[in-house]
Amino acid sequence: MLRKLLKHEFRATARVMGPLFLVILVLALGANLSIRFMLDADSFIPNLLGGLLMMAFVIGMTGLIIMSIVLMVNRFRTNLMGDEGYVMFTLPASSHQLVWSKIIVSTVWFIATGIVECAALLICAADLDLIQEIFSSDFFFRVSQVIQELVQEYGLNLPVMALELIVLCLVGCAVLCLEFYAAMAVGHSFANHKMALSVVFFFGFQFVMQLAGGLILNSNGLWESFYYLDGMESFHQMMGISIVISLVTGVIYYFITSTMLKKRLNLQ
Amino acid sequence: MAILECKELVKSYGKAAALDGVNLTVESGHIVGLLGPNGSGKTTLIKLANGLLTPTSGEILVDGKKPGKETHSVVSYLPERTCVPLWMSTRKLLDFYQDFYADFRRERAEEMLQHLNIRMDQTIKQMSKGTREKVQLIMVMSRAAKLYLLDEPIGGVDPATRDYILNTIINNYDPEAAVIISTHLIADVEQVLDEIIFINQGQIVLQSSVDQIREEKGMSVDALFREVFKC
Repeated sequence: MLRKLLKHEFRATARVMGPLFLVILVLALGANLSIRFMLDADSFIPNLLGGLLMMAFVIGMTGLIIMSIVLMVNRFRTNLMGDEGYVMFTLPASSHQLVWSKIIVSTVWFIATGIVECAALLICAADLDLIQEIFSSDFFFRVSQVIQELVQEYGLNLPVMALELIVLCLVGCAVLCLEFYAAMAVGHSFANHKMALSVVFFFGFQFVMQLAGGLILNSNGLWESFYYLDGMESFHQMMGISIVISLVTGVIYYFITSTMLKKRLNLQ
Repeated sequence: MAILECKELVKSYGKAAALDGVNLTVESGHIVGLLGPNGSGKTTLIKLANGLLTPTSGEILVDGKKPGKETHSVVSYLPERTCVPLWMSTRKLLDFYQDFYADFRRERAEEMLQHLNIRMDQTIKQMSKGTREKVQLIMVMSRAAKLYLLDEPIGGVDPATRDYILNTIINNYDPEAAVIISTHLIADVEQVLDEIIFINQGQIVLQSSVDQIREEKGMSVDALFREVFKC
């Protein structure tokens, strides 16, 4: 059933994110042309057009990140807490499956947004001469040499570091979704002012979590323990603690969300 | 066998009780009218049967089980307003119902949509209010469910659409199943009902067969309703 929910959730969100990705990539191409031909031209019109294209690219890049978050919030609000909830909560699926489908799809879109943003920056900065120079020189060989030197000098464990970053990124995206979902699930359990209360609960949860996190880290003398570790050891320990804190936060928010949807669902 | 059973069912919103100690049993193979004035608790009862609300106390059982994932596969529910995603086209809506409900009869749904000249690529958003309600009803009635819960299916539509909706219900429900129609428009639905449940201020006032009312009281359900709920 989760597979079917994911299929329809992707269908519902791809119609927004797909065209947005396309627009950003086209804007990146426009920004590239603007940098190379228009901004340095001696005429006013190409200068103006180039400036506008660059501005559109910057706004587009910022807008894409904002849209991916807005879409995540809006899908939960309209599809589960709004009128569509009557259809979704009467499907032969559990509330856990409904929440997980939203988390997984939003996380995928966050990651896709990151990839598209990087691709757009590369397109914007791409220069054929530079690319030719990179490939014809020993650029990659020298980069790999520098990495090897760094590995030897500081004892870097690149696969473990990459794994830690990927796990933290995935857990972080899921927690970001759950922060909003928990607030909306609680806010919408009230009879009136559902969205206003959702906002209040969002900031309330943030405050409580920050306070609890700060108290726990300080009371155990965890921060001080980092001072006595060497560079890489403290990096791994820091990543480990960040992942654990994110996981614990996520579990708390997930518990709040699923309990509210199961016990206090109040569709009107 | 009872397809829907309520035992001392109470649902309160704060201090106000929307349902107050409801006891009732609905058997399979009947079309039942859940009749009562506005705010009598009809929608609350239907939402509880769908698991969209949780009881304050008491118990509600659908096909012998508490409302949840399992009962959703045997209940076909029509909400009181259009709740299908507006961005979906008719084809995508058919895909959606076919994917989630094993008992969805796609061919029957397509036949009914074709009869209404509804295009497959037309989105729900592009349809008029009446057409949206018809499409949603077609999806609901194209399922071979054990229990159909129809909340105000004829409220807010013109008389011709009312006739279409009632005909669609009669022609498409599984005779082995039970159909519960919640409404306050008694005269329009009376012709299709086997049984009625009168509900007022969260309490069941009367549960009886339509024939019994006509024989014993010598009046129509509409006339009885007006007498019972006289202001």
